[in-house]
Amino acid sequence: MKLISKTLVYYLLISLPLLGIAGVFSYYLIQNELRDGTDESLQKEKTYAEEIIKTIKEPHTVFLSTDSLSTAIPIKSSKKTDVYSDISIYDKTEKEYLNHRVLKSFFTYQNQTYLITISKTTLEEDELTEGLFSAFGLIISFLVIGFLLVNWLLSKILWKPFYKTLHELNAYEIKDHEQRHFSTVNTLEFNQLNEALNKMTEKIYSDFSQQKEFTENASHEMQTPLAVIKAHLDLLIQSPHLQEEEMNHLQAIENTTKKLASLNKALILLSKIDNHQFKESDSISLKNSIDKTIRQYSDLIQSKKISIEVIADDALTVNMNIVLADILISNLLQNAIRHNIEGGKILIQINQHSLSISNSGKPLTINPKDLFVRFKKDDSSIDSLGIGLSITKSILDTYGYSISYHYLNQLHVFEIKF
Amino acid sequence: MKILIIEDEPELRKSMKQYLHQEGYVIESASDYSKALEKIEVYDYDCILVDINLPQGNGLDIIKHLKQNHSKAGIIIISAKNSSDDKILGLDLGADDYLAKPFNLAELNSRIKALIRRRNFDGNKLIEINEITIIPEERAVKVHNIPVNLTAKEYDLLLFFISNKNRVVSKNSIAEHLWGDDSDQIDSHDFIYVHLRNLRKKLAEKGCVDYVQTIYGIGYNFKISV
Repeated sequence: MKLISKTLVYYLLISLPLLGIAGVFSYYLIQNELRDGTDESLQKEKTYAEEIIKTIKEPHTVFLSTDSLSTAIPIKSSKKTDVYSDISIYDKTEKEYLNHRVLKSFFTYQNQTYLITISKTTLEEDELTEGLFSAFGLIISFLVIGFLLVNWLLSKILWKPFYKTLHELNAYEIKDHEQRHFSTVNTLEFNQLNEALNKMTEKIYSDFSQQKEFTENASHEMQTPLAVIKAHLDLLIQSPHLQEEEMNHLQAIENTTKKLASLNKALILLSKIDNHQFKESDSISLKNSIDKTIRQYSDLIQSKKISIEVIADDALTVNMNIVLADILISNLLQNAIRHNIEGGKILIQINQHSLSISNSGKPLTINPKDLFVRFKKDDSSIDSLGIGLSITKSILDTYGYSISYHYLNQLHVFEIKF
Repeated sequence: MKILIIEDEPELRKSMKQYLHQEGYVIESASDYSKALEKIEVYDYDCILVDINLPQGNGLDIIKHLKQNHSKAGIIIISAKNSSDDKILGLDLGADDYLAKPFNLAELNSRIKALIRRRNFDGNKLIEINEITIIPEERAVKVHNIPVNLTAKEYDLLLFFISNKNRVVSKNSIAEHLWGDDSDQIDSHDFIYVHLRNLRKKLAEKGCVDYVQTIYGIGYNFKISV
């Protein structure tokens, strides 16, 4: 629920009972005032009746109104005080009972006492209630409209910095932290919010940078010890006294060291990609890059008797760093060769905005979602580091391109959208 | 032939020294920036191996210093960073080659030999070992003066063997030499076997002795007595 709607609900929840109470009060106040008003005019008419009585010579009944409800009747009793009363009288023309305010007064003139009865129709209770309800309804509608208007204006003016901050926060990406700053505004609360956000993103960024730096440094620091191991292995295998058994151990150590070195190299590459250290970009023809990579791996392709077909409908060029483009293409092609079967095929299609590389191969044993996750690999690929596709994804992420995988007609298809 | 190794890691320095010493080079070493500067001030070297990250300084500054003093030494950068920026910077400054850690000593040796061959303009441009003659400029090989038609990989393999003759070279170092960074992505050992078989066949056809010995599973030794 929007803040503005929420405020409105609360506002109504509070104002409705208040208005109700105010309505009840108003009802009684207005009723009182009306009665006082009626009584006053009754008094006036009474005075008028007394004037009429003074003009008559013989005592007789005087009709003061056409409906014969107001009368002055000569009576014999002595003088009493004025009495007000409310009665209901059936009205033939209106065909309903009407409320009447009746004043009974006694007036004595020249030893003759008259009973003056003055009757006046008064406002019906339901009419009053009805009137009040419509009045209050109108008030509420005006309040709501006014409130919405005010809120709309407030959100346009007062909440503007908040929405700006929200927008910036949504667009926040840690890689372009330097360009992001929640600026100072003249509303205290929003300023505090922005300051807090600045502080928080600063902290996140510095933690992130430190983490990144650590990964990079750790990987670099590992290169020299690896070089030491390799160098000593190179010296050790020169020994003329080694037996086959020892050589087997040495080879195992050598292979593992090599794997470790490759892994380390891949991690360094990943951190370099993530750190955007490949800045320069060129316009690169994918077709050329693919042809070059195919030539590079022709040994491999031939030895596995893989048939390879390139369909280029479009001379697609992309703006990328040349090193990264080569890594991208060769990772995908290596992947298509490595996970292929003897005598299998590779199909490469270049369209206007996409590149797809498909290869035959056994169905995946892992969840396709995990394909691009670091160190997740298919059970059958023991020698694989499980990092190639995650490098591919990192490269594409840098440029905002996307890659997807699907299995179609017994082909593993990787499709990149540029 | 005089070589200076500038490397702060003592174990690496020692093993590089040991391996290269057997090639008959005179090897000196420096463990940090100032010691390296002292050495290059005093002596002339044919080849200098310089690590970029040094205590008290940067290897690139040593290269600058050498170039300012018009040193004729060939320079090979050894770096743990393997960043293309460092590589380009170093090569721009006048370094001849760049080797990323971790490397194989056989690879280092072949790089030094290649560098010396390239620098040695006035000397003999041919490599002659018994009946084999290699003309590096043309990437051509002759056996008993008869040209042998080798593929690029076969040629590289032969040259690598000859650069590291009488040494056991592991299959992994051959793979890295032939395929570089891609060597870990492919079943390189099978490919080495295929290329080696073809190389042996081609050399034997021209009457060349089979110098290549298989050393258990780990590698090969191009055994030759000159």
